[in-house]
Amino acid sequence: MADRFADSERAGIGWLAKAWPLIWPPIATAIIVGVVWEVITIALEIPSYFVPAPSRIWSAFWGNPGALMFHAGVTLLEAVSGLIIGSFLGAILGTGFAYSRLLSRGLLPFVIAANTIPVVAIAPIIILWFGHGIESKIAVTTFLSFFPLALNMMKGLQSYDRTVMDVFHVAAATPAQRFFKMRLPSALPFVFVGIKINVTFSVIGAIVAEFVQADKGLGFVIMTTYRTLNMPRLWAALVISAVIGLVFFAIVTAVERLTIPWHSSMRAEL
Amino acid sequence: MNPRPRDRTAELQSDSATACVALSNVSVVYPGQENHPAVQALAGFSLMVREQEFVSLIGPSGCGKSTLLRVVSDLIQPTEGTVEVNGRKPAEARLARDVGFVFQDAALLEWRRILENVSLPLELAQMSRKEREERSRELIELVGLRGFEAAWPRQLSGGMRQRAAIARALATKPRVLLMDEPFGALDQITRDRMNMELVGISEATRATVLFVTHSIREAVLLSDRVVVMSPRPGRIVSVIDVELPRPRSLATREDPRYMDLIRLGAAELEKGYAGHGG
Repeated sequence: MADRFADSERAGIGWLAKAWPLIWPPIATAIIVGVVWEVITIALEIPSYFVPAPSRIWSAFWGNPGALMFHAGVTLLEAVSGLIIGSFLGAILGTGFAYSRLLSRGLLPFVIAANTIPVVAIAPIIILWFGHGIESKIAVTTFLSFFPLALNMMKGLQSYDRTVMDVFHVAAATPAQRFFKMRLPSALPFVFVGIKINVTFSVIGAIVAEFVQADKGLGFVIMTTYRTLNMPRLWAALVISAVIGLVFFAIVTAVERLTIPWHSSMRAEL
Repeated sequence: MNPRPRDRTAELQSDSATACVALSNVSVVYPGQENHPAVQALAGFSLMVREQEFVSLIGPSGCGKSTLLRVVSDLIQPTEGTVEVNGRKPAEARLARDVGFVFQDAALLEWRRILENVSLPLELAQMSRKEREERSRELIELVGLRGFEAAWPRQLSGGMRQRAAIARALATKPRVLLMDEPFGALDQITRDRMNMELVGISEATRATVLFVTHSIREAVLLSDRVVVMSPRPGRIVSVIDVELPRPRSLATREDPRYMDLIRLGAAELEKGYAGHGG
């Protein structure tokens, strides 16, 4: 009875067996789509600049994997750095909003407005300010990551249960205890919503920023291969960026599972 | 017959030195807002609750019963009148962790297991991990939740969540326990069981209990005194002494005096309405 409620999350060895129903359907989908795609492009003799066969994309990648991985690494670095810096700064502002009505009244309309600026419009301006290096791309992804976290952190910190607040009051909790033991934990599900938005946007943001101006990164690869119509290599870059986004998302989801196993969104386990 | 002998004269003298909770002439007015007029929740309310006494407050919705508990626990300030808890101001008693509060909603922290939920007040009081765990395990035993220490709140039923909330409220060994319709959201069968459990718990902890309820049966079964209140603004219609033998048990419900007291309580509640022309 005592270990009746021990973590099923900590199961260990059995995880692959448990995760298998989640893993095989997407793998099967990828294989089926790849085979059909391959057959159609060969059978209909579709030119590879128009739609390259998966085998052509594969060999474009393996023709020079080091170079592509280097560019992918640059994009990944820009996306991750911006995500972390932007999310952190956004969380601080969001906390300020949650605690100061004056601050949120004064700044919130502008934050919401800034959040709707398309990245293609703001990227050239930021790159003009921060120069031609990797810093300017990080600045773009930081900018993009800032607002979702600010808004979600504010919403999260305001979403605590009023009766729980009364419990803390009666138990003579200090303001710091209220923040760290109640408001922050109740905000975590919202924080993860914000981070997941940022995962997607920061990869897109890094690539768009590289479109504007860059000499490395996946965005740079996409622009240069497009100019030379080296389409299989462009497709390879595209697939890599999608895989980065997917892996990145999977990591955040895993962290979320470990951090807030209690949350209802985690209830539908494997 | 009654293990809690009560001296009527001392009580009538309103001697606050012997009272555990002393409210005198308390009024609470909730200030009006844009479209809401100001609301007088309590008007000139006085009540002395003795050490280790179990007092129930019963009355129609909105009669200020909950407001009364919120005043005692320093969640709100009275507009007028004075409140003393163990001879101190409510804020001082609260900061001394001498007040426990069980709300209608269990209000457990979903991100903590039951053991950590029960030990929360001790953690806030910065008791060492070992001590608070020991104390929490005792309490979990007391409320009948043994085996569920490592459960998440969402894995428990409503009745079990409320047991955990009661254990949490008792963690700092408060001398005053406030209960605001703690079983109001439970089904009747669970509620009856929780009533019997509460009899045992209150006799074991010997805390002074102020218990808000809508159920006259529940009030009579548990209490030494039942305070019947009128509709808003809340005033005392009458105070019913419940001189049923302790410890109370299932047999108490068979006692003819139990039925008489329930009838009396229902009649007094009616009087409260009549006084309001309703």
